[in-house]
Amino acid sequence: MNWSNVLLILNREIRDQLRDRRTLFMIFVLPVLLYPFMGMSMFQLMQFTQEHPTRVLVLGAEELPMWIPRTDVGVAGGAAAATASDELQPIPPLVERVEDLPENNLVRTTERTDDEAGWRFNPALFDEGDKAELLHAAVLSAAPDLALGTALGTAAAPWLLSSLEARHELAREWLKDGTYQAVIVIPPGFKTRLRQLHPRVDARTRDDSPAVAPSQAPDIQVWHNTAKKKSEIARSRVLQVIRKWREAIVQSNLQAAGISAREMVPFDIEHGENQDVADRRNRHAAVWSMLFPFVLLIWSLTGAFYPAVDLCAGEKERGTLETLLTSPAERSEIVWGKLLTIMIFSIGTVILNLAALGATGVFLLTRIPNLGPPPALSFVWMFLAMVPVSALFSALCLALAAFARSTKEGQYYLMPLFLITLPLVALPLSPSFELTLGNSLIPVTGIVLLLRAAIEGDYLEAFRYFGPVVMVTIACCWLAMRWAVDQFNKESVLFRESERFELGAWLRHLRRDRDLTPTVPAALLCGVLILILRFFFGLAISPDRVNPLMQVLVPQLVAIVFPALLMTILFTRSPRETLLLKRPAAWSLPAAVLLAVCYNPVAQMLGAAVQQMYPIPPAVEQAFQQLVGQLPGFWTTLLLFALVPAVCEELAFRGFILSGLRHMGRKWLAILLASLFFGLTHTIAQQQIMATITGLVLGFVAVQTGSLFPAIAFHLTHNGLLVAMSRLSPSVIESSSVLSLLFEVSAAGEPMLRWPVTVVGSVGTMLLLYWLHRLPAPKTEEESLQEALEHQGHSTAASSL
Amino acid sequence: MIHVRNLTKSYDDLRRGKFMALRGISFDARAGEVFGLLGPNGAGKTTAMRILSTVLRPTSGTATVNGYDVVTQPSLVRHQIGFVSANTGVYDRMTAWEMVAYFGRLYGLKDDQLRDRMEDVFERLKMNDIRDRLGAKMSTGMKQKVSIARAIVHDPPVLIFDEATSGLDVLVARALLRTVAELRDMGKCIIFGTHIMREAEKLCDRIAIIHDGQVLLEGPLGEIQREYQQNDLEELFYQLIAARAEQNPAEAAS
Repeated sequence: MNWSNVLLILNREIRDQLRDRRTLFMIFVLPVLLYPFMGMSMFQLMQFTQEHPTRVLVLGAEELPMWIPRTDVGVAGGAAAATASDELQPIPPLVERVEDLPENNLVRTTERTDDEAGWRFNPALFDEGDKAELLHAAVLSAAPDLALGTALGTAAAPWLLSSLEARHELAREWLKDGTYQAVIVIPPGFKTRLRQLHPRVDARTRDDSPAVAPSQAPDIQVWHNTAKKKSEIARSRVLQVIRKWREAIVQSNLQAAGISAREMVPFDIEHGENQDVADRRNRHAAVWSMLFPFVLLIWSLTGAFYPAVDLCAGEKERGTLETLLTSPAERSEIVWGKLLTIMIFSIGTVILNLAALGATGVFLLTRIPNLGPPPALSFVWMFLAMVPVSALFSALCLALAAFARSTKEGQYYLMPLFLITLPLVALPLSPSFELTLGNSLIPVTGIVLLLRAAIEGDYLEAFRYFGPVVMVTIACCWLAMRWAVDQFNKESVLFRESERFELGAWLRHLRRDRDLTPTVPAALLCGVLILILRFFFGLAISPDRVNPLMQVLVPQLVAIVFPALLMTILFTRSPRETLLLKRPAAWSLPAAVLLAVCYNPVAQMLGAAVQQMYPIPPAVEQAFQQLVGQLPGFWTTLLLFALVPAVCEELAFRGFILSGLRHMGRKWLAILLASLFFGLTHTIAQQQIMATITGLVLGFVAVQTGSLFPAIAFHLTHNGLLVAMSRLSPSVIESSSVLSLLFEVSAAGEPMLRWPVTVVGSVGTMLLLYWLHRLPAPKTEEESLQEALEHQGHSTAASSL
Repeated sequence: MIHVRNLTKSYDDLRRGKFMALRGISFDARAGEVFGLLGPNGAGKTTAMRILSTVLRPTSGTATVNGYDVVTQPSLVRHQIGFVSANTGVYDRMTAWEMVAYFGRLYGLKDDQLRDRMEDVFERLKMNDIRDRLGAKMSTGMKQKVSIARAIVHDPPVLIFDEATSGLDVLVARALLRTVAELRDMGKCIIFGTHIMREAEKLCDRIAIIHDGQVLLEGPLGEIQREYQQNDLEELFYQLIAARAEQNPAEAAS
């Protein structure tokens, strides 16, 4: 590859994009305007919602107690109770009458008298005094002789005087039509009840009124309307007030009974700002650790997408791509030039957005309670994460855009791309989603989790999972990049013409024009199909009901081997070529068995290393142990866990999938992808890693020997050894001289291979892999062509020197 | 210079299965001559020329350009050719000068060498007045000039013109043909694909008539005209196709 060509292309593309007004607007102007505007409107909106008052109707106010504080203001409860409570502690009223309320607090409708208004909730019942303004009270009472019913000469009088049911009906109507947002219903007998429950009143009045058992006593009801948001706000406000009022009554009762408040509430809980151990600067990290990754991902995707569509689909549409392709620039140089351009725009967009968001955050959002300025260090982490994220999205967008026939078609792909990436970004933002090995292996999600850990200052945790996340990200970038290059190499993509699509014709075409071995898309489809089926089997089988037959045999047959065989029959001409059912190279069968034996200690060592770094959670470990404990006899286990997977999985992964993927022209890419599918069919993350590594060896064996049988032999031996070793116990080892030569018992009582065995195994593995490498492996047409092309690259390099 | 042997190209087609765009064509073109690739629309001219310019890969058969194989040595082949297509392929947001310079650099020209070449080419094609004009603001004729300038800036031994005169007015088309003739006189090997027989009569030294993915006739223009006693290529072309149509049912019957 010639980097000066890449630079040349990069330069041109950047200049081209910078001359495009749409791109400039999307990338530079929009973010600079967007965040200040959003911040402003959010700020305004919050003020708006805070200052919006809600109206509450109090029904049955005549039942409100009872002791009037000796003030000039009239209080619900009425004069009747006043005589009984002269000497008692006054309790704060729930609502009180106010004569000089501002006009706008009075709610008038044609059906009501003025008297319903002119009330308010006791300001003392609010945590913050000014909140009282937000809850307007109106009062409806049945008692015409009470102070609140003085003006009953009006037209509304009939319903006021009518039954309780009628009043309730009316209140419900008002609640529904939004006249009031909540209704407090004070039931008949409420006053009496409260009096009876009061220690001192209780003693005096027990004789003249029958005691009401607390359980039978009527409760206050708060009616609300879930269909209206405002009503829900009113409800929560009213509940706070009533609870506070109830507390005041409790205090009063306690005092009357001679118990001090301190005794009932022996301690308070302080959990305010003074108790917050977070660094002053990191105090708001939690909010920003969610906001920033989100912004980063969304904008790096958006920033990558539009230039990508313009650079690929747009160029195709304008007919300039063909000219570029006839120039000496290699496909990979073109792709790199375009990729770097897209990355630069993606990163530029992210930086501008973050800067605009940060500035808005510092100047505007700090005024919103609970939202401080972002921690300064978080910007550093964002910049570090930006490059891989942008690279990944850029490569992905590039490949998609190269696939698109026109800019219009390209735009269609944005939505699906967003739909796929959004959960990957949004999921890890939930607090329960933590950084574990499994999660760190999910592309994008791993980055978000790592970022969150870093912004929250959890560096040790972030460091531990840095490796897997970086590895997965690099692998994904590489795959996306390869995909993009492949798109540029594929003439069917470059010169795609619109064709009338018909499902029937297409299916007939798949069958009629099928090749000896499956196509790459068929292989990928098979892999995805297997993963989906496997997933649903995993859901259907509950882990606590262990039935090895259901657990192993059925998924192997139905989810793994069945789709592969079905697709082989439907979409290929030669099952023998597809499933590699051919005579293996000489000596390769015993070699494969020997390789599996040698590989076993290596796998043990690798497995232990993975386990050490990322321990399996105890719950999973326990479930696994349980499974092992309930295994059937040795031979059945061997059959279920060694023979069945060896045959089924090899037919699917090294047979159909690998044969199809090899049409890509890159042997190792095909082996890697097949191994990834193979790895992902396993359940636990740690298992998946080990299976992927073993899958690489299996793929190599199948490709080099040109036959599936050595791979099956390897797989059978490998799994068989694992099954056998799970049966080993310290006593078995001690009783056999051969076994005790190979194994020692660890401090934890676990059998372990002695280290010389591991060394011998490693050397043996190397030698056998080398032997396999030397075999004259059959190549596909595409692989031969690829080799010729690469060779050509060398010769041009040589000739230009 | 260019040797094409038994070249076939098939596409997957949903309805018809494999669709053969080229059914084994062979021809040779030499340096210092214009080789006309004649045929109606859809005959396979563009497919053949795209294979020669390495953007398409043949299904079978071989093609070499200046000794390099188009399948296994595409990047070497691309150094040997300049490709001019009907849709000109001029970038909207680049000026004529930038565009030609860009491709010159992609072809590996050094800066001073490039400047000399470009001055020369811009002078010869009389495009100094559109040097700083953006592609979006050019007429089709101007774009085609830029396209030719781009194709010859690196002085390649082989030039491929695919329907290069389509959409051009008479004056510009004439100028283009004159340019092609000049290039031939400079010793270039030129493949000139067209469906306009009059252009071929004026310009080509040798022709191949393609129809339905097959070469019906190949040879020096003069010889062909003598052999068939027909100076009017259009007439000859029509005769050939008609004869072919008569022959075909016979083939099917046998």
